[in-house]
Amino acid sequence: MIHLENVTKVYPNGTHAVRNLTLDIPDGEFVFIVGPSGAGKSTLLKLLIREEVADNGIVEVNGKNLMTMPRRQVPYLRRTMGIVFQDFRLIDKMTVFDNVAFAMRVTGHAESTIRKRVPLVLRMVGLSDKAKRKPHELSGGEQQRVSLARAIINRPALLIADEPTGNIDPERSVEIMKMLFNIHQKGTTVIVVTHEHELVRQFGGRVLRIEEGKITADVVLPMHFPNGKKSADTSAKGDSAL
Amino acid sequence: MKLSGLPYLLKEGFKNIWTNRMMSLASVIVLISCLIITGTAALISVNVRTLIANIGDDNEITVYLQPDFSDTDSIRLGTELSALSNVENCRFRSREDVLKSYQDTLGENIYASMQGEGNPFGNEYKLRLRDLSQYEDTVQQIKALSGIDKVSDRSDIADKLTRLNYFVTIVGVWVVLILGVVTLFIIANTIKMTMYARRFEISIMKSVGATNAFVRIPFMVEAMAIGLFAGLMSSAVLIALYEPIRHAAAGVIGMIRTATLPVDAVWFPTLLAMTGAGLLIGLLGGSVSITRYLHKEGGAILGT
Repeated sequence: MIHLENVTKVYPNGTHAVRNLTLDIPDGEFVFIVGPSGAGKSTLLKLLIREEVADNGIVEVNGKNLMTMPRRQVPYLRRTMGIVFQDFRLIDKMTVFDNVAFAMRVTGHAESTIRKRVPLVLRMVGLSDKAKRKPHELSGGEQQRVSLARAIINRPALLIADEPTGNIDPERSVEIMKMLFNIHQKGTTVIVVTHEHELVRQFGGRVLRIEEGKITADVVLPMHFPNGKKSADTSAKGDSAL
Repeated sequence: MKLSGLPYLLKEGFKNIWTNRMMSLASVIVLISCLIITGTAALISVNVRTLIANIGDDNEITVYLQPDFSDTDSIRLGTELSALSNVENCRFRSREDVLKSYQDTLGENIYASMQGEGNPFGNEYKLRLRDLSQYEDTVQQIKALSGIDKVSDRSDIADKLTRLNYFVTIVGVWVVLILGVVTLFIIANTIKMTMYARRFEISIMKSVGATNAFVRIPFMVEAMAIGLFAGLMSSAVLIALYEPIRHAAAGVIGMIRTATLPVDAVWFPTLLAMTGAGLLIGLLGGSVSITRYLHKEGGAILGT
């Protein structure tokens, strides 16, 4: 559950990144966040992962009040979430297996658990045969799948994807989106920040439009699941949000 | 932090050294140089102090009593001299013994004529002082007693030894302090550069929920390993060169051979001090860099 109420964030240089923003995202929801560059999308994500602290308002994520959270508790908050980056953020000198295992190692999991769980997640993202490859030997789509595997390896309740298809071709983008939908269907809350309106129309779900630090549209488009089914939840206002 | 992650972190720390081998090598070389200079200053200081202590031990002053001062009064004066706070030891030498010491110089006839009432010498006391720097004050106290003819003037040696001791101590402390700060700066910079090289990795660590302690450990291992290795190498160099240099110095000033410390007495403290200093410098330098980094740039995950 994400709850933001009257949240404001002003950077030291005077930029009003978020203005009096109120937002609720229930557990298990799939949400697209769209909007022009500099609208405040990244700041919103930074507030959710506690990279930044709001100046005013209430920010609650996964049952934790981020406004009063001590610094030492932040790592434990982040263990309840997974992050997918536009630029993949893979470590070149590590193999695919080690890049995924890295997220488990830094959170103190035993090697025996790592050896069991990483192959399962690699199979889930279709990279079982590439476990020993290095990131530079993979295509953009494959690299993003490794990044996705790393984000979900610790079974997060919330998955945040910041422009996950920004650096890959359209076909691979659809693959990544399908995977995100699959993860969502298993009960994970998924937030995707994107500029690609076509993908939003294609997959549907809740769409939030942010402009000048405010939510200017909050609509629900019909969801098209990767298996071809269409959700009953529809809205006629979808296109205006995009 | 769970202990199960510790082997991974230690391995990462040692891997860092190899990955950044050129930077690590440069730091080790500079650290070794600094530690050798610091260690040399410390060893010179210790040896000069030992030398001074040995010279001081041999440094007796002579108190000449008036020739007409009776033996009974001389013995009473001896008690007063012994009671002075800076007098460690007081040895009586009778006027007969003093005359006897000139027997060969004077010749048998003159020596014989000076026996008994003809003896021009007075009784003497040989004193050893506790603290040479208080020489002047002590001489004034002695001169204030009755029956004193004169006191042998050793103020020049006392003054020089005291000045040398002071100089060596001050220079030694400054060399150790300045080079300590230099080495600290060097190791802090190495770790800072390593962290900048790995900032990408650190941001990923932070994004998946690594604690600051977890991020810190590999860098601390790297810094301490560099410090420890530099400490071991510099102590090996110092111990290996100690005896040859001591012998060479003894060729110039003979008493250095007997009045300074042999290698047996210095090798273990040197090893302990150098490795300890290396480890401490690694620990401090590493932790300063990492703490500063994690408080500033280290928090960024999503970037701008």
